[in-house]
Amino acid sequence: MIPLRITAATPAVAPFVARLNAEGRAFELERTSGRTPFDLDLEIVGEGRSVYRSSSAELELRGIDAGEVDGDVVFIDPSRGIAHRLVRARSAHNTFLITERCDQLCVMCSQPPKRGHVDMFPYFEAAALLAPANMVLGISGGEPTLFKDQLLPFLDRVLTHRRDLSFHILTNAQHFEPTDLPSLARLPHDRVTWGVPLYSSDLVIHDSIVGKDGAFQKLTGGLAILAKSGATLELRTVLMSRNAADLPDLARFVTSQVPFSSSWAIMQLENIGFGRLNWNELFFDHSVQFEPVANAIDLARSRGLNVWLYNFPRCTVPEGYRHLAPATISDWKRRYPAACEECSVRDGCSGLFEWHTDDRGFQRFGTL
Amino acid sequence: MNVWPLRFRKSGTEYLFSDDAGGFFRADQAFLERYVADGLLLSDYDFLRHGGHTFAEVGDLAHTAFAYRWSQRQAVRPELAYLILVPTLRCNLSCGYCQVSRAAEHAKGYDWTEETTEAVLRYLDQLGTSDIKIEFQGGEPLLRIDLLERVRSFCRERFASSKFVVCTNLQEMSPREWAFLEAGDTFVSTSLDGDMATHSRQRTHSAQATSKFLSNLDEAIERLGPHKVSALPTIDIDNPPDFEALINAYRSRGMRSLYLRPVNHQGFARRGRSVDADIERWNALHHAFVEHLIDLNYRIGAGLEEYYFSQCLRRALRSGADEHVDLRNPNFFASDYLVVDHDGKFYPTDEARMLSRIGRIDLSIGDVFSGLQTEKTDTLNAASLNNYDPDCVHCTFQPFCGSDLIDDISRYGRSDRAKTKTWFCRRHTSIFDHVFELMYRDDPATKHSLAQWSGVVSWGRHMAPELA
Repeated sequence: MIPLRITAATPAVAPFVARLNAEGRAFELERTSGRTPFDLDLEIVGEGRSVYRSSSAELELRGIDAGEVDGDVVFIDPSRGIAHRLVRARSAHNTFLITERCDQLCVMCSQPPKRGHVDMFPYFEAAALLAPANMVLGISGGEPTLFKDQLLPFLDRVLTHRRDLSFHILTNAQHFEPTDLPSLARLPHDRVTWGVPLYSSDLVIHDSIVGKDGAFQKLTGGLAILAKSGATLELRTVLMSRNAADLPDLARFVTSQVPFSSSWAIMQLENIGFGRLNWNELFFDHSVQFEPVANAIDLARSRGLNVWLYNFPRCTVPEGYRHLAPATISDWKRRYPAACEECSVRDGCSGLFEWHTDDRGFQRFGTL
Repeated sequence: MNVWPLRFRKSGTEYLFSDDAGGFFRADQAFLERYVADGLLLSDYDFLRHGGHTFAEVGDLAHTAFAYRWSQRQAVRPELAYLILVPTLRCNLSCGYCQVSRAAEHAKGYDWTEETTEAVLRYLDQLGTSDIKIEFQGGEPLLRIDLLERVRSFCRERFASSKFVVCTNLQEMSPREWAFLEAGDTFVSTSLDGDMATHSRQRTHSAQATSKFLSNLDEAIERLGPHKVSALPTIDIDNPPDFEALINAYRSRGMRSLYLRPVNHQGFARRGRSVDADIERWNALHHAFVEHLIDLNYRIGAGLEEYYFSQCLRRALRSGADEHVDLRNPNFFASDYLVVDHDGKFYPTDEARMLSRIGRIDLSIGDVFSGLQTEKTDTLNAASLNNYDPDCVHCTFQPFCGSDLIDDISRYGRSDRAKTKTWFCRRHTSIFDHVFELMYRDDPATKHSLAQWSGVVSWGRHMAPELA
C-alpha cells in the first residue's frame, strides 16, 4: 500500500504547504524561473531521513525514499509531526478531502462521515496550483458541496490560473440551488466532471440506501440544475443486494431521465467502513449472478449511454462485457492476489481493494 | 402530472407509441382508449413517468431530460468539411442505371479545365475546417488521376488531417492508379452488384470485363487491406439478384455489411416508368432480405447486416445516429458537405446534380468561381426538416426519420406532395414498421441479429418497453 502520510519534523509552528524537489527538479525550477515560495529543495539524504530547505523553511521527512516523493505537494501539520501528501506527482489518483461532514449516511459508505470540519481550502488551492501539468484532481468528502460557497469559487480560480488541470468531483447533488446556476455554468465543462451517486429508480430504495428521507427528490432537482448548467456528469451506482434486481429499471430511468450523463459507472462494493460492517447483507456477487448487470448494460448502451464497470475484476465478468471493466481501483488501495501474476489481462484489470479479505470474495475468480 | 403528446400506430395486434423526443413503447388498445378518453390509470402514469413520457412541472428533471433528448434528436449542423468532387463525368463503363451521370469515355468538355481546377483548389484553401474529407466521384475519377493527385497533394499540405475516398469501378488499373490508392489516407468505394451474371448485366455488359473487375477488387482487398475497401450493390427491382449469390459475393471477400441501394430514380425515369410502381416490391424485397440475414446469422453465425436497416434501428434506439446523409433531420443542404461538378458548379447532393443534368430543374447552388448562393440553399433548407410537416407531425416514426426534398422533386416535380404518398415516406414507413416489429418479436434468431446490429452483447425483452 502506498503511504499517504509521512512522519515529519519542522521548526515551523503554523501548518504550511510545500512542494518537494530533488536535485533535478530544483535545477529545472531555476532554469525555467519556476520557483515559488512553496518550493523546498532536497539538501541532505541519509539514515532514513531527507531534509528539505528553502530560504524560509526547513522540513525533515522520515522513512521515505526522496525519489518516491519528488515533485509531491505536501501539507505539513507541525503539531502532529505529519506531512500529508496532497498531490503525489507520479499518481493519477490524487483526491482532496474537502470535509468529513455529510448529510447522507450511506449503508456502504467507505469513509463514514464525522461531525467536525477543518477548513483546508487555502491549502488545497495552493496544492492544486503547484500540481504537475495536465493532472486530474479528485474532490471528495464527506460531502464537498456542503461548502459549495467556497468550493465553486475555488474551482473557478484554479481552473482559470491552470488551464491544464481538470477536476473530478464526487457529490450527492443534494445542495445545488437554481441560484448556483451561474457559478456552475461558468466552469469549463470539459475540465470538470461531477460524479453523482444514484442507487435506484425507486425512491424508497434510494432513500433507504443513502439513509436520508427525501434524498431522491433532492437528487433529481440537483441533477436538473447540473444539466441546465451544461455540466459533465458521471452517474455512479454501487451494486448491492438491495438494488441489484432493480438495475435494469434503473437503466431505463437513467436513459430517459438523465440522458445528459456522459457515462454511468456501476461499481462493486468496497470492503471498508460501513461496507465492511454490512458486507454480508450488502454484497452482491455478480460473478455468479451477472444477469441484472448485463440487462442494465445492454439497455443503456443500446440507447447510446456509455456504461462502465468500476472495481469489477475482469475474470469475474462474462467475456462480452469485460472490455467495459477498466482498472479503476486507485493505486494506493489496489492489490492483486498472488495467482494474478499468471493472468494475461492483469495490467488492464482493477484487481481487488487492498482490504478485500479472501473470505469475502467472488465465487468465480481466476486467471485468464 | 403532464403527459407529453403521444403518437400511435397499429403494430401487429398492439399499438406502438412515440413522443417528440423519440421515446417509444408498445401498449394495447385498452390503453389507447384510456389515453384518448383522458382516463389513464395510476399504473399507466407510473409506466409513462418511468419511461420519460411525463413531467410534473416545467424545469424539473423529467422536463429537462425530455428537452435534452429532443434537442439531441435534431441533427447538428457541422462545418463544411466534406467535398464530393467530380473531376470528370467521363466513364469507361455504361451501367444501365446510370445514363444521366456519365459521359462517353472519349467525349470532350466533361472534365475540369485548368481554370476550374485552380478555382477548386482556391475554394478548398478558404475552408474553415482543419480536417477535410474528399470523395472523388464521376464518371470514373481515375480517368483523371492527374487531377486526383493534384487535389490530394494540395489537401495534405493545406489541412492538418485529410482523408480521400475514390468511388471507382476498379475496371482499368495501372501501376499509377494502384500507387494512388495504396496511400494510407486514401480509401476505395466501389460497386459490386452481386453474382457474375447480375454484375455483367447491370454494369460491364461482358463476363470478361466482370472477371477483370472482380480480380481487381480482390487485388484491392489484398493490397490495400479489407478496411480500406468498401462496396455496395445497386438493386434493380425488375431483376433482383439471387440473395445467396449476392451475399456470397460479399461474404467470400470478408465484407459483412451490405447496403442494398435501389436503382436511382433518374435511371428509371428515362425508361418512362411510373415513379412509384416499384415501391411495394422494393419494400417486400428489403423485408425478405433482412429476414434472410436474421436466419443466416442465427444458423451459421454469419455476422451480416443490411447497413440501412441497422442505421434505422440505431436511429430508433438512440439520438446522434446522424452520420448517414440520406437519413437525418433536419437535413440542411450545403452545410457539412457539397458536390462540385465537372464544370465547377455546386450541388447540394449527387441526386440534385443528376436531376439538374436531365434538365428537370436547376438545383445548382453556385460554383467554385463565385461561391455559394445562400438564397437558394435557404429556400431548400426551409423544406428540409420533418418536424412541422403536416403529415409527419402525426407520424409515430417522425423522430427517427428524415426527409428527402430532392427525391420528392425528382419524382413528383414538387416539394409539397402529401408525404404519405411519396416514395421516401412509403419506403421508410415500411422499414420502421419492420424495425419495431423485430424489437418486440420473441424469437432467439431475431434477438441474435438485433444484438449485433444495435451493438450490444445480448438483446432481451426488456430492451423494448411494453405496458403490461
